[in-house]
Amino acid sequence: MLHLFKYRFLQTIRNLPVMFWALIFPIILGTFFYLSFGNLGLEGTGESSWDEIKVAVVKEDASSPNARSFEEFLKQMDGELLDIQDISTEAEGLKALNEETVYGIFYVKDTPSLTVGKNGLNESILTSLLDNYNQNAAMFQKIAAAHPENLPEALEAMKDYKNVTSEVSLGGMDLNPNIQYFFALVAYACLSGAFLGVQSSIDSQANISPLGARRSITPTHKLTLVLMDMAVLFIIHFFNILILCLYISKVLKISLGNDIGSLLLVDFMGSMIGVCLGVTIGCLARLSLGLKMGVCVLLTLFPGFLAGLMFGNMKNIIELHCPVVNRINPAAVLSDAFYCMGIYNDTERFTRCLLILAVMSILLLTVAFLGVRRERYDSI
Amino acid sequence: MQTTNIIQIENLVKRYQNLVALDHLNLTIHEGEIFGLLGPNGSGKTTAINCLLALLKYDKGTITIFGKNMHPNSYDIKKQIGVVMQNVAVFEQMSVWENIDYFCGLYVKDKTRRKQLVEEAVRFTGLEDFTKMRPKKLSGGLLRRLNIACGIVHKPRLIIMDEPTVAVDPQSRNKILEGIVELNRQGSTIIYTSHYMEEVEQICTRIAIIDHGRVLATGTTEELKQMIKTGETITIEALALEETALAEIRELPHVFDVSYEDQILKVKLGTARHNLVRILNYLQEKDISFGRVFSELPTLNDVFLEITGKELRD
Repeated sequence: MLHLFKYRFLQTIRNLPVMFWALIFPIILGTFFYLSFGNLGLEGTGESSWDEIKVAVVKEDASSPNARSFEEFLKQMDGELLDIQDISTEAEGLKALNEETVYGIFYVKDTPSLTVGKNGLNESILTSLLDNYNQNAAMFQKIAAAHPENLPEALEAMKDYKNVTSEVSLGGMDLNPNIQYFFALVAYACLSGAFLGVQSSIDSQANISPLGARRSITPTHKLTLVLMDMAVLFIIHFFNILILCLYISKVLKISLGNDIGSLLLVDFMGSMIGVCLGVTIGCLARLSLGLKMGVCVLLTLFPGFLAGLMFGNMKNIIELHCPVVNRINPAAVLSDAFYCMGIYNDTERFTRCLLILAVMSILLLTVAFLGVRRERYDSI
Repeated sequence: MQTTNIIQIENLVKRYQNLVALDHLNLTIHEGEIFGLLGPNGSGKTTAINCLLALLKYDKGTITIFGKNMHPNSYDIKKQIGVVMQNVAVFEQMSVWENIDYFCGLYVKDKTRRKQLVEEAVRFTGLEDFTKMRPKKLSGGLLRRLNIACGIVHKPRLIIMDEPTVAVDPQSRNKILEGIVELNRQGSTIIYTSHYMEEVEQICTRIAIIDHGRVLATGTTEELKQMIKTGETITIEALALEETALAEIRELPHVFDVSYEDQILKVKLGTARHNLVRILNYLQEKDISFGRVFSELPTLNDVFLEITGKELRD
């Protein structure tokens, strides 16, 4: 076992073209991202201003204490996180929303509400802002009812809220406007494990390579060979992803989240999906190695593109028009998992992402295993 | 002396849709032999070997090796087989030593024993000075030797070599052939396929000629030569022959084939005494002048040509 592990490990890490695609290329791409728009703020990404999200505020019923409180809260946010436009009627607000001159409309009433035009980072922040307000309002009402003596202290704490929300995400990390590109990059890098998987798959099948034939006629069980190969590749690629994450967070200083456990879990599943994807490609058809590598490039870059690797808003556009693609695109699910973990702090959505990733991992692992486990062929 | 059958193939049939690759192939290989498989491209040699190794499904027939049926999970049989593929099958990213050690490790678990076997294989194939080199840096001959080392490192009882000397320079080829004979001397039974008839003639103790998935003839080189009509081929250079003279030569005793081209006469005769004398006497009687004269006994190539109707390298 150790013998197989050692040599598959050496063979893989010395395979420079494969390691380039699986490790070096994502690092280079990350560096280019950083150099391209790292210091340009949101202009570099094609997004509008980050720290002032343009919104309309429509007063439907400002007479209740709740409505007045919410109006006051929005005023406090104006110039900090929000840029409240000079719009007073709902019709004007909806027109501005359609023309995309505002990202959302806040309705000031007893139960405050929000209308957004599409799904996106700014819209998500507006939603989170309202949710947090509602939670805090409910909390103050409870405090006032149960412990009125503590209300001033709670209100004092609330004063600091805008500072907190303007600088720190719900997930507890510093908000970097370009973070979506780096999430998509890590997702793409996970899928790049396919390059490792293809080579190993070819080396295992007697009908594809002489090496596969030589390995198939030894007394070592095919299952042992295949499982050891996959385990080694998976471990190597998991470390590739960790190296990339460390590079992004420690060298480029872009935080991917503070929840290390969740980060490792997503990286773990992503690595498994990448390697299994490669093993599956490797045994799908009798294509040449070059063609298989071409398929790998396509099946890693294209999902990456759909997840926002080249155009940050792509995932949101797909979510708006064909959300099912984002559910079945492993890069989009991985990227979403990073979002949930680092920015939204949305446990439910994160769990859904993990479940989708787990299903994908199991499916691909099964297909890959069935593909390479054959011991006797119809033709060689 | 009693011979043990190491391989027994009976009525093996393998079809690729409408194409019959192996057509009721029968083969028996005895322990201690260097058994040559001769056949043109597409004759079924490699298909037979792949079926033998349980890599390929077949439609009908039985294969027994060491007296047991061969299946993909016949690990006790596989342990005793070494294979040298036609295509070099080594890891590009690993050194000569690492490659040999890797393949040895698939057969031998004990580390100390493995080290000893790898050292012996390196010495045997003359790769001592190249153990740290990667395959890419090796010449064609050295690469072939590495391919052989990986196949024989575990000292198998049966070695299958599928054209191991293709694209190898004559010096390396001789070294490889000497090695094969040495392996046989050490106790391994060897199945050897090659396009080079002279190699097969040089090292094989028994030969099977295969075409269209069937064994056409089996025997020692001498036995095979006795199976054909040609006993002697006489070549006479630089002579001018009339059509009538050619017709008369055709009528001489034991002559069964005459060709005349560019003033060179080639006469094929059956096995008989004084064949050459009879032809030379005829030429003298007719006062036909001639230059150099050669008389050749049949080669394996003649055997092959006569049995299959085509040249091996066609």
